[in-house]
Amino acid sequence: MPTYVDMTRCDGCGECVDICPSDIMHIDKVYRRSYNIEPNFCWECYSCVKHCPQHAIDVRGYSDFAPLGHKVRVLRETEKGMIYWKIRYRDGREKEFEFPIRTTPWGSIKSAGEYEAPDLKALSSPMLAHEPEALHIDALPTLPREKKA
Amino acid sequence: MALRSTNRTKFVDADILVVGGGFGGCGAAYESRYWGRDLKIVLVEKANIERSGAVAQGLSAINCYMGMQWGENQPEDFVRYTRGDLMGLVREDLVYDIARHVDSTVHKFEEWGLPIIKNPETGRYLREGKWQIMIHGESYKPIVAEAARKSSTEVYNRIMVTHLLMDAKRPNRVAGAVGFSVRDGTFYVFRAKAVIIGAGGGSHIYRPRSVGEGMGRTWYAPWSTASAYGLLIPTGAKMIQMENRIVLARFKDGYGPVGAWFLLLKSHATNAYGEMYEAARFEEIKQRVGKYAEITPMPTCLRNHAMLEEMKAGKGPIYMHTQKVLDTKEKEEIGWEDFLDMTISQAVVWAAQNIDPKEKPSELITSEPYVMGSHATCSGAWASGPEDCAPSDYQWGYNRMTTVEGLFGAGDTIGGSAHKFSAGSFTEGRLAGKAAVRYVLDRRNESPEVDDAQVADLRAQIYQPLETYRVGRNEIVAGTVAPGYITPLAGLQRLEKLMDEYVGGYTTFYVTNEPLLNRGLELLEMLKEDMAHVGAEDLHQLQRAWELHHRIMTAEAVARHTLFRKETRWPGYYYRADFPKLDDPDWHVFTSSQYDAKTGQWEMTKLPVHHFV
Amino acid sequence: MLTTNPFAVLSEVVPASLLQIYVALMILAVAVGTLLDAFHKGSAKYFAQRRAKAAAMARRPLSGGDKLSLAACTIGEAAVSGEFCKWPRRVSHLLMMYGFIAYVVTTFLMVFCYTVAAQTPPIVPALWTLGALMVLVGGLWFFFFLRVNVAYDGDPPLHVGRADLFILGLLTSTGFGLLWKIAQAGGGNSSVSLTLFAIYIAGTTFLFLAVPWSKFAHMFYKPVVAFQRRVEEANGSTDLPTPEAGRLSRS
Repeated sequence: MPTYVDMTRCDGCGECVDICPSDIMHIDKVYRRSYNIEPNFCWECYSCVKHCPQHAIDVRGYSDFAPLGHKVRVLRETEKGMIYWKIRYRDGREKEFEFPIRTTPWGSIKSAGEYEAPDLKALSSPMLAHEPEALHIDALPTLPREKKA
Repeated sequence: MALRSTNRTKFVDADILVVGGGFGGCGAAYESRYWGRDLKIVLVEKANIERSGAVAQGLSAINCYMGMQWGENQPEDFVRYTRGDLMGLVREDLVYDIARHVDSTVHKFEEWGLPIIKNPETGRYLREGKWQIMIHGESYKPIVAEAARKSSTEVYNRIMVTHLLMDAKRPNRVAGAVGFSVRDGTFYVFRAKAVIIGAGGGSHIYRPRSVGEGMGRTWYAPWSTASAYGLLIPTGAKMIQMENRIVLARFKDGYGPVGAWFLLLKSHATNAYGEMYEAARFEEIKQRVGKYAEITPMPTCLRNHAMLEEMKAGKGPIYMHTQKVLDTKEKEEIGWEDFLDMTISQAVVWAAQNIDPKEKPSELITSEPYVMGSHATCSGAWASGPEDCAPSDYQWGYNRMTTVEGLFGAGDTIGGSAHKFSAGSFTEGRLAGKAAVRYVLDRRNESPEVDDAQVADLRAQIYQPLETYRVGRNEIVAGTVAPGYITPLAGLQRLEKLMDEYVGGYTTFYVTNEPLLNRGLELLEMLKEDMAHVGAEDLHQLQRAWELHHRIMTAEAVARHTLFRKETRWPGYYYRADFPKLDDPDWHVFTSSQYDAKTGQWEMTKLPVHHFV
Repeated sequence: MLTTNPFAVLSEVVPASLLQIYVALMILAVAVGTLLDAFHKGSAKYFAQRRAKAAAMARRPLSGGDKLSLAACTIGEAAVSGEFCKWPRRVSHLLMMYGFIAYVVTTFLMVFCYTVAAQTPPIVPALWTLGALMVLVGGLWFFFFLRVNVAYDGDPPLHVGRADLFILGLLTSTGFGLLWKIAQAGGGNSSVSLTLFAIYIAGTTFLFLAVPWSKFAHMFYKPVVAFQRRVEEANGSTDLPTPEAGRLSRS
């Protein structure tokens, strides 16, 4: 099963049910813990794996083509803005990697509505919000009129 | 799952309704707010916008960035590049429009917190290739979703939109949408002055190479269920290039990306005997496509074609020689991050098959076909272009508006607008968002008028599969086989098989012809009839049933467009064996279809391809 | 009323020895039920295999003192229900956990040690009542609002399944226990009070006999597993990345 939930670690908090883009993490009727109801619609996107606070979810690669004995585990630390990977090969070799995931604090993005309101005459210009400044050039390019068909 | 709430209806009124919270939809929500400060902007998503859409896992590169600030590329260069890659057939105005704005999108992404990798020598963004830059993109979607969430008035997660609503009083004008809550079954009626479709393109139209659990490992997300087309086609919106299904050459089984390997790490692919095969195929390709064989870089479809010919000649497996380029720790990290940031499954394949890329090469393969509009392909709706530079027959007032009034699109939804990828789709969302605000403000005093009878009829249709299952289930003891209904998975697998066998799937090496296409349409017709008997056991299966409806609608468009275009324009994507060559005199056009929901008829026409860049 | 030992009052019609046998049987039921669950299903064997595999992959041996401190941390975290990441679930669990402990311990004390009403320290029955109330409040809150299938998966609040055996047993036992005590305070060992007592006993028996099928035994399994997880992190056999362990190794 692409993602699976560790019986001993899941405490039924529902984060995985909430995040899964495929709507395949659901609650088991016997244990009231989560499990993957449709592994053949699992993309192994690791959203549930990353979001589980108990690190209770892991991936066992698709049985079609992934032999057993491997592990690709992840720790996503939002406060640090980092992600950590530990890969264990079927033959026991291990590799670890770490990469940044964000350079700004979570929640720090401004709504588009917090910027100074544009002059609505500009609605008929081709420029989008924050332009031309956000283009880092002086003016929005346009095609010379003669070139139009 | 609860069924009791299928009695409840919730009405949501909006100025602008954004359907789909992926990159296109998030761009639309953001820009709509900038221009429409006191407008009610509602975003509706069938999953959770935090990780929904094709960028759920993240991305390791942004594939559409000009770098105008450093004089690296100009928008015109990008138009020429995409035009070449699509063998001449792109909407140059739409591509130009994306290219000139995308840099501002990318700079905002960096400001929001997306880590973009820098070239240590120049201080500029590290280029993967001419158009691509490298990012630490694991959280790309959560970052972008945060901007959209903050800019929207309301975000509805776990609501699947199944149909668009047309205005009861004004002809050819959208008025909103209907759908249902995947969690508690509540019926939702959205009424809006403008609707922007940012829904997904189509995976699982064709039989995938892996069919067990591995069915989940499609190159494009399994939750991209062709709703972009499934929602639009029934409204009578004109669609173009639906035959332009994309096939990708990727790492085998895991479908990990190859861009960074080829472009940044400078790796090579050979056949099983270590031979470079692309150049050897040049003359044969020239026989098929004439002068297009000389396009550089070699178009995506032609690279596929060369690989396919090699495989058919029995020279596989095709290998990517990763072991020849990972000579430093930094390069090894790039190679792994490339997968871990966007296709973790390929790292799983390496770990499972004991492949250390420093030591062993990895297999490449061509994928099953997909139908979408944001990659090296451009299926989608015929849309109005930018007013300042689009030819007069390419625009009708509002940028990215389809041929249905008030109905806009972004991302996979829009046809002819190739090579957008993530940043370009978000940019297209921004373009649609601004235009939709203008559209709404131009009609300040108008309100959409929803047809109550139509809504009631759609409501009955939407929940029918639950009732079909509930009643039909009584015929059998247990199990999935019942004579009275099919499960959504059963219907999907029938669709995938017939598309694969008759409309050029991987088992035929992507070859089809007129007799095959006609037979495929016959079988598709019977599947469409059987859809009246699709049975959904619970709300999750009901979602699957409606995803299947959207896929089937799209598949029919694909088959009809493929039948209509009597040439092989993109060998390597698919082949018309009865018209094996590229035919510019007759077919240097867009194929266009318009579906009439009342009669079930499709009208096929040609639309002009203008070259002005 | 709060400080009256209801079991002592009851012993006027039901002999104390009978109550003691019952409590002893219920303790046995928990032990047998847990062991049955662990061994019949094979979960004990699975856990033993997992422990052995982790021990074989250990990079850093742990001393007795290390293990003792890990155990203390485990108990410490469990004592504050620190494993819960959402505050409503954590608070409701604390209420139920400490409520249950108080309820069960004071029941034992009143049935075995303080069989005469007048000699029962008032704090004991008071804690019994408080414990039952805590379980009831935390449990009802949990049942109607916090259960994950209700909060996240669209099940209606009244939905029950096999996963609810434990919570239903808890609510019945404590709910009818309190009702019985109130009725007894008003009318002694009347037929009403004895009827409520009978339902209370039925609920309590159900709670303890259902152990092989319910979530009851999680209170034994979870701390053991939490300790094992700490051991794996400390001895380096964990398969999770360990950025705190310093320089990440790359082969």
